[in-house]
Amino acid sequence: MANQTNTSANYADDLALNAEDERKIDVVGHAGLLLIACAIGLIANWVGTGTSPLTALPGMATLYVACIIGLALARFVPFYLPGVAWVSLIAILITIPGVPGAAWVSEKVEHLNFLALATPALAYGGLALTASEFAIARRSGWKIVIVAICVMVGTYMGSVVVADLFLRLGQ
Amino acid sequence: MTGKTGAASGALYLHLIVLAIVIVSELIGIQRLPIGIGTVIFLPILYAFALGILVNPAIFKASAKFLSRDAVKLSSAMITVAIMPFIAKFGTTVGPQISKIIEAGPALVLQELGNLGTILVAFPVAVFLLKMGREAVGATYSIDREPNLALIADKYGLNSPEGAGAMGVYATGTLIGTFVFAIMPPIVHGLGIFDVRALAMSCGVGSGSMLAACTGGLVAAVPDQKDIILALAAASNILTYATGLYVGMFVALPLTEWLYNKARPSERRAQA
Repeated sequence: MANQTNTSANYADDLALNAEDERKIDVVGHAGLLLIACAIGLIANWVGTGTSPLTALPGMATLYVACIIGLALARFVPFYLPGVAWVSLIAILITIPGVPGAAWVSEKVEHLNFLALATPALAYGGLALTASEFAIARRSGWKIVIVAICVMVGTYMGSVVVADLFLRLGQ
Repeated sequence: MTGKTGAASGALYLHLIVLAIVIVSELIGIQRLPIGIGTVIFLPILYAFALGILVNPAIFKASAKFLSRDAVKLSSAMITVAIMPFIAKFGTTVGPQISKIIEAGPALVLQELGNLGTILVAFPVAVFLLKMGREAVGATYSIDREPNLALIADKYGLNSPEGAGAMGVYATGTLIGTFVFAIMPPIVHGLGIFDVRALAMSCGVGSGSMLAACTGGLVAAVPDQKDIILALAAASNILTYATGLYVGMFVALPLTEWLYNKARPSERRAQA
């Protein structure tokens, strides 16, 4: 029993959770990695939709800048909000009608397919799984698989029912 | 002596393998499989994830020659980086739809509490049907993505039963979450009961890949509603980023604890 507890603690070390404290994001280091991600994203978009990378480049460059600003805010603003939340907020702000340049941004990012931009992240995700993560999934067994499916269905359907109810009430 | 060049070539191989996987996945494209109650939709992100696992050195031993432990670590860091342009693109769909988002405001905010549905569905299954112990608390109180896992780690430690439950659902969700979230929304939409806006805003559960799968499946099923689907899903996902941890800390986890103590009063006495 003690042995088992010990191994699960070791597994924990390998999980993404412990990988990095967002407060200490190295913005400069991320700028380089983000450049690679954007380049692969442009190619995914090209293969997936037939839009040439040159056509999609201004939109991607805009997203790149939004990401960098978002990361910098997550790093330097004195309260906690994850980097992805900052990135989203900036992206929303620069596309609200009336904000200078909003129409230009909306038109340029239209050349990028949202789903194609997620493909590289999932490829990295598949490659990043460690032996311990496979081991946790195997060791947890079929009961956890059933529970995990119930968790996902419950989380989604709970929101659907509440949202649908209030959309109807609002009409 | 392989130090620096070894690490650099490992990184190069990693990005090239990802590029190859991405090209193959996008070439296959979206596939639809009609079944009785709806359509099962297969997305390029699914193939990309599956191909990544196939080439993963922990599964396919030969690729350890190209992908060092460091390269696998870099791959883990690259997930957070590579999802950023996707999240940014998603944000840009909100601005133009902002008036419709505000119109749906109350539903959008309140459906965050709907995430507690996991307790309603999964908790009874875990405790009464599968007879799980305190693992059930960590496993069922939330969808167990990174912030929720951090909360469990903080409160119980990851080597506790609660931690094992949370990590089990985390690992399983990582493996099959994209798949579940890609097939579920089109099928639920096929029932014809729910407003497509409700299906869209429920996609924001605080995980980039689940968000991508969920909206991807929904847009493939209802292409003419694409703009509003993306905008609502993006808005709800941001709300989850902002509120998820607090709902978990102050509502979901105390509620699950309370339910567990009600369901197993004898265990509580034994502890005391």
